[in-house]
Amino acid sequence: MSAFQITIDGKEVEVAPGHTVLEAARQIGIAIPTLCHLEKCGPLTSCQVCLVKVVANGQSRLTPSCATLAVPGMVIESETDEVHEARRTALELLFSDHVGDCLSPCNRLCPLQLNIPAMLRQIQAGRLDEAIVTVRQSLPLAGVLGRLCHHPCEQGCRRGVFDEPAAIREMERFLTDHDSKQEFRQSVLSMPKAASTRQSVVVVGAGPAGLAAAHDLARSSFAVTVIDRNARPGGTLRDVPQADMPAAVLEAEVALLAGMGIDFKTGIELGAQVTLDGLRRGFDAILLTVGELAKGAGEKLEVPLAGALLKADPSTCMASPPGIFAAGSCVKPIKQIVRAIAEGRAAADCVRLYLRGQSPRRAGKPFSSIMGRLEPGEMRDFLRAAGQEPSAAPCSRCSATNRAAAVQEAARCLHCDCRSSGNCLLQHYAQVYGADASRFRSERRPFEQQLQPAGIIFEPGKCILCGICVKLTELAAEPLGLSFVGRGFDVRVAAPLGRPIQDGLQAVAEECVRHCPTGALVFAEKTIPADGKV
Amino acid sequence: MPAVDLNFVEQAVALIGRKPADLIPILQALQDHHGCLPKEALARLSELTEIHPSAISGVSTFYDMFRLKPAGKHILRVCHGTACHVAGAGRVEDALRRHLRIPAGADTDDAQQFTIEPVACLGCCTLAPVVKIGNSTIGHVSAEKCADQVRDYLDQLSEAAGAKSTEEVEHRPGNGSAQIHVGLGSCCMAKGSDQLFHALREQAGLCGGNVTIKRVGCMGMCHRTPMIEVDQPGKAAAFYSDVTPAQAGALMQRHFRPRGLLRRAGRLWTSMLDSLLLEEDAPQRQVARFSMSKRDPAVRAFLENQVHIATEHFGKLDPLDLDEYVAHDGFAALRRCLATPGDNAAPALSPEQLVAAIEQSGLRGRGGAGFPTGQKWRVVSRQPGDVKYVICNGDEGDPGAFMDRMILESFPYRVIEGLALAAAAVGAREGIFYVRHEYPLAVRRVRAAIAEMERRGWLGATLMGAGFPLRLRVVEGAGAFVCGEETALIASVEGRRGMPRLRPPFPAESGLWGKPTLINNVESLALVPWIIRHGPEKFAALGTATSKGTKVFALAGRIRRGGLIEVPMGATLREIIEKIGGGAAEGRRIKAVQIGGPSGGCVPASLMDTPVDYESLREVGAIMGSGGMVVLDDSCCMVDIARYFLQFTQNQSCGKCTFCRVGTRRMLDLLDKLCAGKAQRSHLEELERLARQVSAGSLCGLGKTAPNPVLSTLRYFRSEFEAHLEGRCPAGQCAALIKYRVTDACTGCTLCAQHCPVHAIPMTPYARHEIDLGLCTRCDTCRKVCPQKAIEVT
Repeated sequence: MSAFQITIDGKEVEVAPGHTVLEAARQIGIAIPTLCHLEKCGPLTSCQVCLVKVVANGQSRLTPSCATLAVPGMVIESETDEVHEARRTALELLFSDHVGDCLSPCNRLCPLQLNIPAMLRQIQAGRLDEAIVTVRQSLPLAGVLGRLCHHPCEQGCRRGVFDEPAAIREMERFLTDHDSKQEFRQSVLSMPKAASTRQSVVVVGAGPAGLAAAHDLARSSFAVTVIDRNARPGGTLRDVPQADMPAAVLEAEVALLAGMGIDFKTGIELGAQVTLDGLRRGFDAILLTVGELAKGAGEKLEVPLAGALLKADPSTCMASPPGIFAAGSCVKPIKQIVRAIAEGRAAADCVRLYLRGQSPRRAGKPFSSIMGRLEPGEMRDFLRAAGQEPSAAPCSRCSATNRAAAVQEAARCLHCDCRSSGNCLLQHYAQVYGADASRFRSERRPFEQQLQPAGIIFEPGKCILCGICVKLTELAAEPLGLSFVGRGFDVRVAAPLGRPIQDGLQAVAEECVRHCPTGALVFAEKTIPADGKV
Repeated sequence: MPAVDLNFVEQAVALIGRKPADLIPILQALQDHHGCLPKEALARLSELTEIHPSAISGVSTFYDMFRLKPAGKHILRVCHGTACHVAGAGRVEDALRRHLRIPAGADTDDAQQFTIEPVACLGCCTLAPVVKIGNSTIGHVSAEKCADQVRDYLDQLSEAAGAKSTEEVEHRPGNGSAQIHVGLGSCCMAKGSDQLFHALREQAGLCGGNVTIKRVGCMGMCHRTPMIEVDQPGKAAAFYSDVTPAQAGALMQRHFRPRGLLRRAGRLWTSMLDSLLLEEDAPQRQVARFSMSKRDPAVRAFLENQVHIATEHFGKLDPLDLDEYVAHDGFAALRRCLATPGDNAAPALSPEQLVAAIEQSGLRGRGGAGFPTGQKWRVVSRQPGDVKYVICNGDEGDPGAFMDRMILESFPYRVIEGLALAAAAVGAREGIFYVRHEYPLAVRRVRAAIAEMERRGWLGATLMGAGFPLRLRVVEGAGAFVCGEETALIASVEGRRGMPRLRPPFPAESGLWGKPTLINNVESLALVPWIIRHGPEKFAALGTATSKGTKVFALAGRIRRGGLIEVPMGATLREIIEKIGGGAAEGRRIKAVQIGGPSGGCVPASLMDTPVDYESLREVGAIMGSGGMVVLDDSCCMVDIARYFLQFTQNQSCGKCTFCRVGTRRMLDLLDKLCAGKAQRSHLEELERLARQVSAGSLCGLGKTAPNPVLSTLRYFRSEFEAHLEGRCPAGQCAALIKYRVTDACTGCTLCAQHCPVHAIPMTPYARHEIDLGLCTRCDTCRKVCPQKAIEVT
């Protein structure tokens, strides 16, 4: 038989005999998601995330595209609501039995999504230079936050259930202080040098929200100008008592921002020295972060008001089109500095999208599977995995004044995040398909972690039973190999005859870890230090 | 723990083999020997054979029959088939666990005396609820009496050590002109018909030699077993039901002239027997009468002869008497398809003609989906290559279905003939009977029938001593409902976990060992010899436009007369349930009939005029399935029924694909919430949405049809679901939603207090009793034992 045509989503595609619908779709750039598909394994048809709809003779059915051979004249639907809903449901079902968090609670609770476990692992390993980059990438005004943040992260820290939460804010402060002593060598290295785009943004108001937005926009390579009616940038941060934050800390942060190429013009007030129209002529976009408005101040700004506040669409941060955005306390009252900074960041995201010709949209929360509270036995496992004896006397957190203390404190982290976050297909497709990890909320299985002396970690609760590792051991003729054990809802992957999992992976451990679509099978050593994944 | 005897592993391997396909039989042997699969034995097995360790671990944990932990001295298998479920199997299991002191979450008591294993279905639905202890099946077990029933069994155990089996005695055709037929199917034997058989033989010896006691297969009326038929020349046949071995002597007295002085005493005895004599209107007579009730005498005469096709000569044939089968036209059809020995003439029917005949007959698969059998045969017959297989699918796993068991037990030669005809048609030289291990009698009889035919040279090198070579063997399933699915069945025969794969390719193209394989259900094959003997037109003349011939149903549940019936396609549910089954029990109202088991649905009483054919049943949300028909009355909660089936399929899911493995579990979570009165409207909506998605997204038939019982109950009984949202169970079944209360009718007799297993009723003689609802487990015992009917459920 020679090549023939099939139709996918109305597009004709020429297919060679023996090819699957999945292969045909990929030929024309239709990205059908797969979790259990690996070419050399043949179709495993377990995840059912690659479902497509076959329409024939007025009837239709869903079928896994990875195992369905294309036949002449076949009509396939892939990118339709119905098919997407089925794929989303498959993902949601997998999450309903997925024991583990993609992101640690501290990370999820941080309004700026700092990858705290990664930072702590870097500190623990003594790689402070890497740790400061991790912090700086997520936190504008990191030095300020290291002192003033109300640290919701620590309230969510699982360690807190056992003794005391990890002293996360202390660690940030330690890192930024350490960085300042080294003249911000790492910080400066991690910042872009100069604006490389002609598009320009003016940020009106140099409070926490404005500075954060300016920081993010400069990172996105826009030419950023910050104007403020006061003589020095900082807004309300200038009112913080010296005891809580020495002025030098703020000066250093502003200096860093200026070093990124941000142009500060102080002593300029909108409605006085400049007008909105004037700014509109001079800049491609305007972001108003003018802070709390004094009575009558709103009217002067010439943008729509909602009572005493500026009116901005919460999902786009847009105050009035075209190109005028607003964020921070001038839109809604904000108490915490970190939230103001997060609002500035959200507005910067919207401005960036707008300037790139896309529709502005505030970024949603990053997806994460959520495991919930740990049972006492699970807590013991986490402590053990973190190298700490559960029986040891509870350690009270330290205030990190020196490197040794910081390393010791960082070692208290339970690493309850997933080592594969950012490198996980399940998480990736959950984001793409907008899966709701808690749709089928139900009683969960216990968290289990099999730490193998060979450095492999197997977490059965994260295994989606795709079958790839089982098949790879079979193809490699592993003497012991891996097997599905049990039946139905209780099927698990294990090494046969009750042996430890590493015994089944003599030759293919690396390959299995590489192709594991989730974080079920990972190497301990490769993930604790480097943090390239997130 | 004593050291494991590893010599046995070596013996088993030497006897069975070292290849991957030998794994399941070896594990079965080890399980029989050790009572479980000790890990030392499994490790030794991997050393001794070519079987990969991953297969050993994978297979030994997949099938229900394999235990990895030692069991107690006595294993009690509590049947949770549909009929048993609605008859209170759950309460029986609870009571047994309490009585045998089996801790929660465990299956064996601390003293290692008793192990309780729930089983999906023992296929003795008319005796529900059923418990199997060791090799004995006990029917009509109840929560109140199960303790005594277990004790009786243990008492008998020592006495019965020397009891004879009816399978081992010689079954010679008697020379007596009179015969007594004793039904010896599994159901009958569960009620002691084998002991009755021996008693009758003994008495017949005393009487003189002119009466033959004959073993026959199922007699249809399974709810009145043990059943016997006394056949004397020139006299109308007399039927007796519920006969005990002690009555054997009296029975002989009544029918056969007693010698000596016992005559007088005999008469006294026989007057007592009259009470056991079945009324003339015996239901299995009605099976025939049912078709005769049609007014047209011509049609009547025609139908009267056509009702029993798969079950032709039921209650007449000794299942293992080959000569008798031959004398009743057995193998006549097969011989027409084989060349005559010593003569080079072509057979009367060529393979092509054979396929064409099955196509013309309109026969559709009786295993469930109703795929045209002839078309399947055609595809396999057209496949190139010398090596092809035929498989008889006897993995009848639907709870509430026992047709295939009965056919295999009663007519093993007929099914062999059907399979041999299939082999002739498609060019296969090897055939397999895949029979579930829960059917030991069926396995034994098919094996014995094959052995007998081999002994005569009718199987093996040449079929019937004249035709092509054909080797048949029995493969015992190991307990996995999903193995009824063709691709999973093949995986199991190959010694693997019974995991289905996506079709196409269909087994007809690539099946066992990658070769073309024809898989037909037991009943389909049992129909084939008749079709060839009488011609396809005659078969096609029965039934409806799209569903031809007859269908065997296992009729059970909340009905007066349950049993095994064969009716022409197109008969209505009402005709089956009311005429044959006798309708609802006294004071009850039929609510629905569950057809098609866990893949089927519940047809409400308002649709009782639905004819049984593939399309009509599908239209009303059920499926023909393999033929389990469980009648539900107003005491059955439909939400509980939906949950029951979901629990079954969820438990039987192989675990391969997401929708079935996790989806059915989440549906069950939602149904659990409903039954516990903890569900909100959004849960009900989610249940319906998820049911449709599981159906659309699952890989194989098990997952695709698993939501059917939920969808059909939602369709017809939504108001019951709504009631559960409000915390009410209208049928009074869901334990979390009901309360027991003592009414003023109580006389203070203390019976309830004496029987309450959890001491929730303080004993207050001559005063009205009170139930402590905190302690009450809603086991229903008090209501059952109360002589005043003074306990009400609210």
